[in-house]
Amino acid sequence: MQISWIQAVLLGLFACLSSMPGMGGSSIGNYTLGRPLIGGLVCGIILGDIPTGIMVGCAMQVVYIALVTPGGTVSADVRAVSYIGIPLAMVALSSYGLSAESSEGAALATSFGTMVGTLGTVLFYGTATVNLLWQHMGWKAVEKRDYKKLYLIDMGLPWISHLLCSFIPTMVMCKMGASVVELIKTTLPMDGIAMKTLFTVGALLPCVGIAILLKQIVKNAADFIPFLFGFTLAASLGINLVSATVVAGMFAILIYRLKMLSANKVAVAGGYDEEEEEDI
Amino acid sequence: MEKKLSKKTLLKSFHNWYYGHLTCFSQEHMQTFGYLCSMLPLVEELYDNEEDKAAAMNTYTAFFNTEPQLGTVVVGITAGLEEARANGTEDVDEETINGLRAGLMGPIAGIGDSLVVGTVIPILLGIAMGMSTGGSPLGAIFYIIVWNLFAYFGMRFMYFKGYELGGKAVDFLIGTQGEALRDAISTLGGIVIGAVSATWVSVTTSLKLLNDAGEPYLVLQDKLDSVFPGLLTAVFIIICWFLMAKKRMSPIKVMLVLVVVAFVGVLVGFFNPGLAY
Repeated sequence: MQISWIQAVLLGLFACLSSMPGMGGSSIGNYTLGRPLIGGLVCGIILGDIPTGIMVGCAMQVVYIALVTPGGTVSADVRAVSYIGIPLAMVALSSYGLSAESSEGAALATSFGTMVGTLGTVLFYGTATVNLLWQHMGWKAVEKRDYKKLYLIDMGLPWISHLLCSFIPTMVMCKMGASVVELIKTTLPMDGIAMKTLFTVGALLPCVGIAILLKQIVKNAADFIPFLFGFTLAASLGINLVSATVVAGMFAILIYRLKMLSANKVAVAGGYDEEEEEDI
Repeated sequence: MEKKLSKKTLLKSFHNWYYGHLTCFSQEHMQTFGYLCSMLPLVEELYDNEEDKAAAMNTYTAFFNTEPQLGTVVVGITAGLEEARANGTEDVDEETINGLRAGLMGPIAGIGDSLVVGTVIPILLGIAMGMSTGGSPLGAIFYIIVWNLFAYFGMRFMYFKGYELGGKAVDFLIGTQGEALRDAISTLGGIVIGAVSATWVSVTTSLKLLNDAGEPYLVLQDKLDSVFPGLLTAVFIIICWFLMAKKRMSPIKVMLVLVVVAFVGVLVGFFNPGLAY
Protein backbone atom coordinates (compact mmCIF):
# COMPACT_ATOMS: atom_id res chain seq x y z
CA MET A 1 0.00 0.00 0.00
CA GLN A 2 1.29 3.46 -0.91
CA ILE A 3 0.01 6.81 0.31
CA SER A 4 -0.35 9.37 -2.47
CA TRP A 5 0.23 13.11 -2.05
CA ILE A 6 -3.49 13.85 -2.20
CA GLN A 7 -4.19 11.27 0.50
CA ALA A 8 -1.35 12.69 2.63
CA VAL A 9 -2.76 16.22 2.24
CA LEU A 10 -6.23 15.05 3.34
CA LEU A 11 -4.76 13.27 6.36
CA GLY A 12 -2.85 16.47 7.20
CA LEU A 13 -6.06 18.49 7.05
CA PHE A 14 -7.86 16.14 9.43
CA ALA A 15 -4.86 16.34 11.77
CA CYS A 16 -5.37 20.14 11.94
CA LEU A 17 -9.03 19.71 12.81
CA SER A 18 -8.71 16.96 15.36
CA SER A 19 -5.83 17.71 17.69
CA MET A 20 -6.37 18.70 21.31
CA PRO A 21 -6.31 22.46 20.75
CA GLY A 22 -7.71 21.72 17.29
CA MET A 23 -9.46 23.75 14.63
CA GLY A 24 -12.56 21.55 14.76
CA GLY A 25 -13.37 22.72 18.30
CA SER A 26 -13.08 20.23 21.14
CA SER A 27 -16.45 18.47 20.69
CA ILE A 28 -16.14 17.84 16.96
CA GLY A 29 -12.36 18.00 16.67
CA ASN A 30 -10.78 16.40 19.70
CA TYR A 31 -13.63 14.23 20.99
CA THR A 32 -14.99 13.10 17.62
CA LEU A 33 -12.41 13.24 14.82
CA GLY A 34 -9.53 12.74 17.24
CA ARG A 35 -10.81 9.46 18.69
CA PRO A 36 -8.88 6.59 17.01
CA LEU A 37 -12.13 4.73 16.24
CA ILE A 38 -13.41 7.69 14.20
CA GLY A 39 -9.90 8.32 12.87
CA GLY A 40 -9.98 4.71 11.67
CA LEU A 41 -13.14 5.42 9.69
CA VAL A 42 -11.72 8.63 8.19
CA CYS A 43 -8.37 7.01 7.33
CA GLY A 44 -10.22 4.00 5.95
CA ILE A 45 -12.24 6.25 3.65
CA ILE A 46 -9.17 8.26 2.54
CA LEU A 47 -7.01 5.19 1.95
CA GLY A 48 -9.83 3.16 0.44
CA ASP A 49 -10.03 0.33 2.98
CA ILE A 50 -12.72 1.03 5.58
CA PRO A 51 -12.74 -2.38 7.37
CA THR A 52 -8.97 -2.30 7.97
CA GLY A 53 -9.16 1.34 9.09
CA ILE A 54 -11.89 0.55 11.60
CA MET A 55 -10.11 -2.53 12.96
CA VAL A 56 -6.83 -0.63 13.39
CA GLY A 57 -8.76 2.27 14.96
CA CYS A 58 -10.45 -0.08 17.44
CA ALA A 59 -7.13 -1.62 18.46
CA MET A 60 -5.68 1.82 19.19
CA GLN A 61 -8.88 3.13 20.76
CA VAL A 62 -8.51 0.75 23.71
CA VAL A 63 -5.19 2.38 24.67
CA TYR A 64 -6.71 5.85 24.49
CA ILE A 65 -10.22 5.12 25.74
CA ALA A 66 -9.98 7.67 28.54
CA LEU A 67 -7.49 10.24 27.44
CA VAL A 68 -8.04 12.89 30.09
CA THR A 69 -5.88 15.98 29.77
CA PRO A 70 -6.02 17.52 33.24
CA GLY A 71 -4.69 21.07 33.18
CA GLY A 72 -3.44 20.65 29.63
CA THR A 73 -0.84 17.96 30.30
CA VAL A 74 -0.96 15.23 27.72
CA SER A 75 0.60 11.78 27.61
CA ALA A 76 -0.29 11.24 23.96
CA ASP A 77 -1.38 13.36 21.03
CA VAL A 78 -4.60 12.29 19.32
CA ARG A 79 -3.81 13.84 15.93
CA ALA A 80 -0.60 11.81 15.80
CA VAL A 81 -2.32 8.60 16.91
CA SER A 82 -5.27 8.95 14.54
CA TYR A 83 -3.79 10.55 11.43
CA ILE A 84 -0.16 9.40 11.49
CA GLY A 85 -0.36 6.18 13.54
CA ILE A 86 -3.40 4.66 11.84
CA PRO A 87 -2.30 5.25 8.21
CA LEU A 88 1.20 3.94 8.95
CA ALA A 89 -0.18 0.91 10.79
CA MET A 90 -2.41 0.21 7.78
CA VAL A 91 0.61 0.41 5.48
CA ALA A 92 2.59 -1.84 7.82
CA LEU A 93 -0.19 -4.42 8.01
CA SER A 94 -0.47 -4.66 4.25
CA SER A 95 3.32 -4.79 3.94
CA TYR A 96 3.59 -7.63 6.48
CA GLY A 97 0.54 -9.33 5.02
CA LEU A 98 -1.23 -9.42 8.40
CA SER A 99 -4.99 -9.18 8.85
CA ALA A 100 -6.14 -6.31 11.07
CA GLU A 101 -8.59 -8.67 12.72
CA SER A 102 -5.91 -11.11 13.95
CA SER A 103 -4.40 -10.55 17.39
CA GLU A 104 -0.95 -10.05 15.78
CA GLY A 105 -2.42 -7.39 13.53
CA ALA A 106 -4.01 -5.61 16.49
CA ALA A 107 -0.75 -5.82 18.46
CA LEU A 108 1.26 -4.35 15.59
CA ALA A 109 -1.27 -1.54 15.17
CA THR A 110 -1.24 -0.79 18.90
CA SER A 111 2.55 -0.58 19.21
CA PHE A 112 2.77 1.60 16.11
CA GLY A 113 0.00 3.91 17.26
CA THR A 114 1.32 4.31 20.77
CA MET A 115 4.86 4.95 19.64
CA VAL A 116 3.67 7.66 17.24
CA GLY A 117 1.21 9.03 19.82
CA THR A 118 3.86 9.43 22.48
CA LEU A 119 6.32 11.09 20.10
CA GLY A 120 3.42 13.24 18.89
CA THR A 121 3.18 15.08 22.22
CA VAL A 122 5.91 17.26 20.64
CA LEU A 123 3.24 18.46 18.19
CA PHE A 124 0.91 19.33 21.05
CA TYR A 125 3.48 21.45 22.87
CA GLY A 126 4.56 22.94 19.53
CA THR A 127 1.04 24.12 18.66
CA ALA A 128 0.46 25.53 22.13
CA THR A 129 3.75 27.41 21.97
CA VAL A 130 3.11 28.96 18.55
CA ASN A 131 -0.32 30.04 19.81
CA LEU A 132 1.47 32.23 22.38
CA LEU A 133 2.41 34.49 19.47
CA TRP A 134 -1.25 35.07 18.53
CA GLN A 135 -2.19 35.55 22.16
CA HIS A 136 0.50 38.20 22.46
CA MET A 137 -1.17 39.99 19.54
CA GLY A 138 -4.48 39.40 21.31
CA TRP A 139 -3.41 41.28 24.43
CA LYS A 140 -2.31 44.18 22.24
CA ALA A 141 -5.75 44.19 20.63
CA VAL A 142 -7.46 44.19 24.03
CA GLU A 143 -5.30 47.15 25.11
CA LYS A 144 -6.24 49.06 21.96
CA ARG A 145 -9.91 48.05 22.44
CA ASP A 146 -9.86 46.49 19.00
CA TYR A 147 -12.11 43.66 20.19
CA LYS A 148 -13.24 42.45 16.74
CA LYS A 149 -9.70 41.23 16.26
CA LEU A 150 -10.21 38.66 19.02
CA TYR A 151 -12.13 36.44 16.60
CA LEU A 152 -9.17 36.40 14.24
CA ILE A 153 -6.85 35.64 17.17
CA ASP A 154 -8.99 32.85 18.61
CA MET A 155 -10.32 31.17 15.48
CA GLY A 156 -8.24 32.30 12.51
CA LEU A 157 -4.55 32.64 13.26
CA PRO A 158 -4.18 29.27 15.08
CA TRP A 159 -4.54 27.73 11.60
CA ILE A 160 -0.95 28.87 11.06
CA SER A 161 0.15 27.00 14.19
CA HIS A 162 -1.56 23.93 12.79
CA LEU A 163 -0.05 24.35 9.36
CA LEU A 164 3.36 24.15 11.03
CA CYS A 165 2.69 21.59 13.76
CA SER A 166 -0.11 19.41 12.36
CA PHE A 167 -0.40 19.66 8.59
CA ILE A 168 3.23 19.48 7.50
CA PRO A 169 4.39 16.82 9.99
CA THR A 170 1.39 14.59 9.23
CA MET A 171 1.73 14.96 5.47
CA VAL A 172 5.46 14.26 5.51
CA MET A 173 5.24 11.33 7.94
CA CYS A 174 2.45 9.67 5.95
CA LYS A 175 4.28 10.18 2.67
CA MET A 176 7.61 8.92 4.04
CA GLY A 177 6.02 6.25 6.21
CA ALA A 178 5.72 3.54 3.59
CA SER A 179 9.47 3.51 2.92
CA VAL A 180 10.25 3.59 6.67
CA VAL A 181 7.99 0.58 7.22
CA GLU A 182 9.83 -1.19 4.40
CA LEU A 183 13.15 -0.34 6.07
CA ILE A 184 12.01 -1.70 9.45
CA LYS A 185 10.85 -4.85 7.74
CA THR A 186 14.22 -5.54 6.15
CA THR A 187 16.35 -4.62 9.18
CA LEU A 188 14.30 -6.31 11.91
CA PRO A 189 13.37 -9.92 11.19
CA MET A 190 9.93 -11.07 12.36
CA ASP A 191 11.26 -13.92 14.51
CA GLY A 192 13.88 -11.75 16.24
CA ILE A 193 13.70 -10.51 19.82
CA ALA A 194 12.96 -6.90 18.77
CA MET A 195 9.84 -7.74 16.77
CA LYS A 196 8.62 -10.24 19.36
CA THR A 197 8.97 -7.55 22.02
CA LEU A 198 7.21 -5.00 19.82
CA PHE A 199 4.23 -7.30 19.31
CA THR A 200 4.11 -8.25 23.00
CA VAL A 201 4.18 -4.59 24.02
CA GLY A 202 1.31 -4.03 21.61
CA ALA A 203 -0.74 -6.63 23.45
CA LEU A 204 0.15 -5.17 26.87
CA LEU A 205 -0.39 -1.46 26.14
CA PRO A 206 -4.21 -1.48 26.18
CA CYS A 207 -3.91 -2.41 29.89
CA VAL A 208 -2.54 1.10 30.50
CA GLY A 209 -5.50 2.69 28.73
CA ILE A 210 -7.99 0.73 30.81
CA ALA A 211 -6.00 1.46 33.98
CA ILE A 212 -6.10 5.23 33.31
CA LEU A 213 -9.87 4.92 33.22
CA LEU A 214 -10.00 2.79 36.36
CA LYS A 215 -8.00 5.45 38.17
CA GLN A 216 -11.05 7.72 37.72
CA ILE A 217 -13.54 5.15 39.00
CA VAL A 218 -11.73 3.01 41.54
CA LYS A 219 -11.19 4.69 44.91
CA ASN A 220 -11.04 1.57 47.09
CA ALA A 221 -10.83 -2.20 46.51
CA ALA A 222 -14.63 -2.67 46.44
CA ASP A 223 -14.85 -0.39 43.40
CA PHE A 224 -13.09 -3.10 41.41
CA ILE A 225 -16.19 -5.29 41.64
CA PRO A 226 -18.24 -3.50 38.90
CA PHE A 227 -15.18 -3.68 36.63
CA LEU A 228 -14.65 -7.39 37.32
CA PHE A 229 -18.39 -7.97 36.97
CA GLY A 230 -18.31 -6.49 33.48
CA PHE A 231 -15.15 -8.44 32.71
CA THR A 232 -16.87 -11.68 33.76
CA LEU A 233 -19.96 -10.88 31.66
CA ALA A 234 -17.83 -10.66 28.55
CA ALA A 235 -15.02 -13.15 29.26
CA SER A 236 -16.92 -15.96 30.97
CA LEU A 237 -20.49 -15.51 29.75
CA GLY A 238 -19.60 -14.23 26.27
CA ILE A 239 -22.05 -11.32 26.43
CA ASN A 240 -21.37 -8.64 23.79
CA LEU A 241 -20.71 -4.98 24.60
CA VAL A 242 -24.12 -3.58 23.71
CA SER A 243 -25.87 -6.20 25.90
CA ALA A 244 -23.35 -5.64 28.68
CA THR A 245 -24.24 -1.93 28.59
CA VAL A 246 -27.92 -2.77 29.06
CA VAL A 247 -27.11 -4.96 32.08
CA ALA A 248 -24.91 -2.16 33.43
CA GLY A 249 -27.72 0.34 32.88
CA MET A 250 -30.00 -1.78 35.05
CA PHE A 251 -27.49 -1.61 37.91
CA ALA A 252 -27.04 2.12 37.39
CA ILE A 253 -30.80 2.67 37.82
CA LEU A 254 -30.83 0.55 41.00
CA ILE A 255 -27.94 2.52 42.47
CA TYR A 256 -29.53 5.84 41.61
CA ARG A 257 -32.83 4.86 43.21
CA LEU A 258 -31.08 3.51 46.33
CA LYS A 259 -28.99 6.65 46.74
CA MET A 260 -31.99 8.93 46.32
CA LEU A 261 -33.98 6.81 48.77
CA SER A 262 -31.33 7.03 51.47
CA ALA A 263 -30.84 10.75 50.78
CA ASN A 264 -34.57 11.38 51.19
CA LYS A 265 -34.60 9.37 54.42
CA VAL A 266 -31.83 11.52 55.83
CA ALA A 267 -33.73 14.62 54.77
CA VAL A 268 -36.92 13.38 56.48
CA ALA A 269 -35.01 12.42 59.63
CA GLY A 270 -33.35 15.83 59.58
CA GLY A 271 -36.81 17.40 59.38
CA TYR A 272 -37.91 15.67 62.57
CA ASP A 273 -34.84 16.91 64.39
CA GLU A 274 -35.67 20.47 63.50
CA GLU A 275 -39.21 20.09 64.79
CA GLU A 276 -38.01 18.74 68.10
CA GLU A 277 -35.65 21.66 68.46
CA GLU A 278 -38.49 24.05 67.87
CA ASP A 279 -40.54 22.37 70.61
CA ILE A 280 -37.78 22.92 73.10
CA MET B 1 -34.77 50.88 30.75
CA GLU B 2 -33.96 47.35 31.89
CA LYS B 3 -31.39 45.78 29.59
CA LYS B 4 -32.16 42.26 28.42
CA LEU B 5 -29.91 40.07 26.33
CA SER B 6 -31.61 38.82 23.18
CA LYS B 7 -31.79 35.10 22.47
CA LYS B 8 -29.83 35.67 19.28
CA THR B 9 -26.91 37.26 21.12
CA LEU B 10 -26.91 34.55 23.77
CA LEU B 11 -26.80 31.89 21.07
CA LYS B 12 -23.93 33.68 19.35
CA SER B 13 -22.06 33.80 22.63
CA PHE B 14 -22.76 30.09 23.20
CA HIS B 15 -21.60 29.15 19.70
CA ASN B 16 -18.40 31.13 20.13
CA TRP B 17 -17.73 29.08 23.27
CA TYR B 18 -18.86 25.77 21.73
CA TYR B 19 -16.43 26.16 18.85
CA GLY B 20 -13.69 28.44 20.09
CA HIS B 21 -12.96 27.54 23.71
CA LEU B 22 -9.76 25.70 22.88
CA THR B 23 -8.82 26.74 19.35
CA CYS B 24 -6.25 29.25 20.55
CA PHE B 25 -4.89 27.15 23.42
CA SER B 26 -1.54 27.82 25.04
CA GLN B 27 -0.06 26.53 28.27
CA GLU B 28 -0.08 30.07 29.62
CA HIS B 29 -3.63 31.32 28.99
CA MET B 30 -5.48 28.09 28.11
CA GLN B 31 -9.16 28.94 27.52
CA THR B 32 -8.94 32.67 28.26
CA PHE B 33 -9.25 33.79 24.63
CA GLY B 34 -12.18 31.46 24.01
CA TYR B 35 -13.85 33.06 27.01
CA LEU B 36 -13.19 36.58 25.71
CA CYS B 37 -14.71 35.66 22.34
CA SER B 38 -17.85 34.24 23.93
CA MET B 39 -18.34 37.32 26.15
CA LEU B 40 -17.77 39.81 23.31
CA PRO B 41 -21.23 39.62 21.68
CA LEU B 42 -22.86 40.06 25.11
CA VAL B 43 -20.72 43.04 26.06
CA GLU B 44 -21.36 44.71 22.70
CA GLU B 45 -25.10 44.39 23.13
CA LEU B 46 -25.20 45.48 26.76
CA TYR B 47 -22.99 48.57 26.68
CA ASP B 48 -23.06 51.54 24.34
CA ASN B 49 -20.04 53.55 25.37
CA GLU B 50 -16.48 52.39 24.84
CA GLU B 51 -15.39 52.90 28.46
CA ASP B 52 -18.02 50.50 29.80
CA LYS B 53 -17.23 47.95 27.10
CA ALA B 54 -13.53 48.08 27.97
CA ALA B 55 -14.26 47.74 31.70
CA ALA B 56 -16.48 44.72 31.06
CA MET B 57 -14.05 43.00 28.68
CA ASN B 58 -11.23 43.62 31.10
CA THR B 59 -13.00 41.37 33.63
CA TYR B 60 -12.62 38.37 31.35
CA THR B 61 -8.92 38.77 30.68
CA ALA B 62 -8.37 36.81 33.91
CA PHE B 63 -7.06 33.28 33.40
CA PHE B 64 -9.68 30.61 32.75
CA ASN B 65 -9.44 26.85 32.27
CA THR B 66 -11.84 24.04 33.11
CA GLU B 67 -13.44 20.99 31.52
CA PRO B 68 -14.99 22.79 28.51
CA GLN B 69 -18.17 20.74 28.03
CA LEU B 70 -19.44 21.01 31.60
CA GLY B 71 -17.69 24.37 31.98
CA THR B 72 -20.27 25.89 29.61
CA VAL B 73 -22.42 26.40 32.70
CA VAL B 74 -19.87 28.91 34.02
CA VAL B 75 -20.05 30.93 30.79
CA GLY B 76 -23.85 30.92 31.09
CA ILE B 77 -23.69 32.10 34.69
CA THR B 78 -21.36 34.99 33.81
CA ALA B 79 -23.69 35.97 30.94
CA GLY B 80 -26.44 36.38 33.54
CA LEU B 81 -24.12 38.27 35.89
CA GLU B 82 -22.92 40.61 33.14
CA GLU B 83 -26.53 41.44 32.33
CA ALA B 84 -27.17 42.17 36.01
CA ARG B 85 -24.07 44.37 36.16
CA ALA B 86 -25.18 46.32 33.07
CA ASN B 87 -28.48 46.95 34.84
CA GLY B 88 -26.58 48.39 37.76
CA THR B 89 -27.21 45.60 40.27
CA GLU B 90 -25.14 46.69 43.23
CA ASP B 91 -23.36 43.59 44.48
CA VAL B 92 -22.17 42.45 41.03
CA ASP B 93 -18.74 43.77 40.10
CA GLU B 94 -15.51 42.54 38.58
CA GLU B 95 -14.47 40.98 41.86
CA THR B 96 -17.64 38.88 42.34
CA ILE B 97 -17.60 37.70 38.72
CA ASN B 98 -13.97 36.63 38.80
CA GLY B 99 -14.31 35.20 42.30
CA LEU B 100 -17.11 32.99 41.02
CA ARG B 101 -15.20 32.00 37.89
CA ALA B 102 -12.10 31.09 39.87
CA GLY B 103 -14.17 29.24 42.47
CA LEU B 104 -16.01 27.10 39.93
CA MET B 105 -13.08 26.28 37.62
CA GLY B 106 -11.60 23.61 39.89
CA PRO B 107 -14.71 21.66 40.97
CA ILE B 108 -16.23 21.76 37.46
CA ALA B 109 -12.98 20.51 35.95
CA GLY B 110 -12.90 17.65 38.46
CA ILE B 111 -16.51 16.59 37.89
CA GLY B 112 -16.29 17.17 34.12
CA ASP B 113 -13.09 15.19 33.62
CA SER B 114 -14.40 12.18 35.48
CA LEU B 115 -17.99 12.39 34.19
CA VAL B 116 -17.63 13.47 30.54
CA VAL B 117 -14.13 12.37 29.53
CA GLY B 118 -13.75 9.55 32.03
CA THR B 119 -17.22 7.99 31.84
CA VAL B 120 -19.63 9.16 29.13
CA ILE B 121 -17.12 9.11 26.26
CA PRO B 122 -15.63 5.70 27.21
CA ILE B 123 -19.13 4.19 27.54
CA LEU B 124 -20.11 5.51 24.10
CA LEU B 125 -16.81 4.31 22.64
CA GLY B 126 -17.28 0.92 24.31
CA ILE B 127 -20.68 0.48 22.71
CA ALA B 128 -19.36 1.79 19.38
CA MET B 129 -16.47 -0.68 19.46
CA GLY B 130 -18.95 -3.47 20.14
CA MET B 131 -20.70 -2.47 16.91
CA SER B 132 -17.44 -2.44 14.94
CA THR B 133 -16.71 -6.16 14.76
CA GLY B 134 -15.30 -7.19 11.41
CA GLY B 135 -14.50 -3.58 10.56
CA SER B 136 -18.07 -2.35 10.30
CA PRO B 137 -18.35 1.46 10.16
CA LEU B 138 -21.63 1.29 12.11
CA GLY B 139 -19.99 1.85 15.51
CA ALA B 140 -18.06 4.91 14.37
CA ILE B 141 -21.20 6.42 12.83
CA PHE B 142 -23.15 5.67 16.02
CA TYR B 143 -20.51 7.47 18.10
CA ILE B 144 -20.33 10.49 15.78
CA ILE B 145 -24.11 11.01 15.93
CA VAL B 146 -24.78 10.25 19.60
CA TRP B 147 -21.76 12.08 21.04
CA ASN B 148 -22.25 15.21 18.97
CA LEU B 149 -25.97 15.49 19.71
CA PHE B 150 -25.20 14.93 23.39
CA ALA B 151 -22.35 17.44 23.41
CA TYR B 152 -24.13 20.19 21.46
CA PHE B 153 -27.51 20.05 23.17
CA GLY B 154 -25.99 19.21 26.55
CA MET B 155 -23.71 22.24 26.39
CA ARG B 156 -26.52 24.46 25.11
CA PHE B 157 -28.71 23.29 27.98
CA MET B 158 -25.92 24.02 30.48
CA TYR B 159 -25.35 27.49 29.04
CA PHE B 160 -28.99 28.55 29.28
CA LYS B 161 -29.47 26.92 32.71
CA GLY B 162 -26.47 28.89 33.91
CA TYR B 163 -27.86 32.10 32.43
CA GLU B 164 -31.34 31.61 33.93
CA LEU B 165 -30.48 30.18 37.33
CA GLY B 166 -27.08 31.74 38.01
CA GLY B 167 -25.20 30.05 40.83
CA LYS B 168 -28.15 27.74 41.54
CA ALA B 169 -27.40 25.88 38.28
CA VAL B 170 -24.32 24.40 39.92
CA ASP B 171 -26.25 23.06 42.92
CA PHE B 172 -27.66 20.31 40.74
CA LEU B 173 -24.15 19.15 39.88
CA ILE B 174 -22.79 19.11 43.40
CA GLY B 175 -26.03 18.39 45.32
CA THR B 176 -27.44 15.04 46.47
CA GLN B 177 -29.17 14.27 43.20
CA GLY B 178 -26.03 15.04 41.23
CA GLU B 179 -23.99 12.84 43.52
CA ALA B 180 -26.42 9.92 43.18
CA LEU B 181 -26.36 10.36 39.41
CA ARG B 182 -22.57 10.43 39.34
CA ASP B 183 -22.34 7.24 41.46
CA ALA B 184 -24.82 5.49 39.17
CA ILE B 185 -22.99 6.57 36.00
CA SER B 186 -19.60 5.62 37.37
CA THR B 187 -20.86 2.10 38.21
CA LEU B 188 -22.28 1.86 34.68
CA GLY B 189 -18.89 2.99 33.39
CA GLY B 190 -17.06 0.42 35.53
CA ILE B 191 -19.14 -2.48 34.22
CA VAL B 192 -18.88 -1.38 30.57
CA ILE B 193 -15.13 -0.89 30.86
CA GLY B 194 -14.82 -4.39 32.34
CA ALA B 195 -16.64 -5.77 29.32
CA VAL B 196 -14.54 -3.64 26.95
CA SER B 197 -11.30 -4.95 28.44
CA ALA B 198 -12.42 -8.58 28.33
CA THR B 199 -13.43 -8.12 24.68
CA TRP B 200 -10.56 -6.00 23.33
CA VAL B 201 -7.57 -6.65 25.59
CA SER B 202 -5.86 -10.00 25.51
CA VAL B 203 -2.70 -10.77 27.44
CA THR B 204 -1.66 -14.38 27.00
CA THR B 205 1.37 -16.41 27.99
CA SER B 206 3.00 -19.05 25.86
CA LEU B 207 4.68 -20.75 28.82
CA LYS B 208 4.51 -24.54 28.61
CA LEU B 209 6.29 -27.16 30.69
CA LEU B 210 7.24 -30.28 28.73
CA ASN B 211 7.71 -33.80 30.10
CA ASP B 212 10.49 -36.18 29.00
CA ALA B 213 8.59 -37.28 25.92
CA GLY B 214 8.23 -33.67 24.80
CA GLU B 215 4.50 -33.56 25.59
CA PRO B 216 3.33 -30.44 27.41
CA TYR B 217 2.01 -31.34 30.87
CA LEU B 218 1.35 -27.77 31.95
CA VAL B 219 -0.01 -25.12 29.62
CA LEU B 220 -0.05 -22.08 31.91
CA GLN B 221 -2.57 -20.08 29.85
CA ASP B 222 -5.17 -22.89 30.03
CA LYS B 223 -4.58 -23.32 33.78
CA LEU B 224 -5.07 -19.60 34.38
CA ASP B 225 -8.18 -19.45 32.22
CA SER B 226 -9.70 -22.39 34.10
CA VAL B 227 -9.41 -20.35 37.31
CA PHE B 228 -10.98 -17.20 35.81
CA PRO B 229 -11.23 -16.63 32.07
CA GLY B 230 -8.96 -13.77 31.10
CA LEU B 231 -7.18 -13.81 34.48
CA LEU B 232 -3.82 -12.69 33.08
CA THR B 233 -5.43 -9.71 31.30
CA ALA B 234 -7.24 -8.63 34.48
CA VAL B 235 -4.06 -9.00 36.55
CA PHE B 236 -2.04 -6.85 34.14
CA ILE B 237 -4.72 -4.14 34.15
CA ILE B 238 -4.80 -4.10 37.95
CA ILE B 239 -0.98 -3.92 38.09
CA CYS B 240 -1.06 -0.90 35.76
CA TRP B 241 -3.75 0.70 37.92
CA PHE B 242 -1.63 0.03 41.02
CA LEU B 243 1.47 1.62 39.47
CA MET B 244 -0.45 4.74 38.44
CA ALA B 245 -2.89 5.18 41.33
CA LYS B 246 -0.75 3.99 44.25
CA LYS B 247 2.81 4.53 43.01
CA ARG B 248 1.90 7.78 41.24
CA MET B 249 3.68 6.79 38.03
CA SER B 250 2.82 8.64 34.82
CA PRO B 251 1.20 6.66 31.97
CA ILE B 252 4.36 7.03 29.87
CA LYS B 253 6.50 5.54 32.67
CA VAL B 254 4.08 2.63 33.01
CA MET B 255 4.32 2.07 29.25
CA LEU B 256 8.11 1.95 29.56
CA VAL B 257 7.81 -0.58 32.40
CA LEU B 258 5.65 -2.70 30.07
CA VAL B 259 8.30 -2.51 27.34
CA VAL B 260 10.83 -3.92 29.84
CA VAL B 261 8.37 -6.57 31.02
CA ALA B 262 7.68 -7.56 27.41
CA PHE B 263 11.39 -7.76 26.58
CA VAL B 264 12.22 -9.92 29.61
CA GLY B 265 9.08 -11.99 29.04
CA VAL B 266 10.09 -12.72 25.46
CA LEU B 267 13.64 -13.65 26.56
CA VAL B 268 12.46 -16.19 29.15
CA GLY B 269 9.73 -17.54 26.90
CA PHE B 270 6.77 -16.26 28.94
CA PHE B 271 5.54 -14.23 25.96
CA ASN B 272 5.70 -15.39 22.38
CA PRO B 273 3.44 -13.72 19.87
CA GLY B 274 4.07 -16.66 17.51
CA LEU B 275 5.28 -14.61 14.57
CA ALA B 276 6.22 -16.16 11.28
CA TYR B 277 6.42 -15.06 7.70
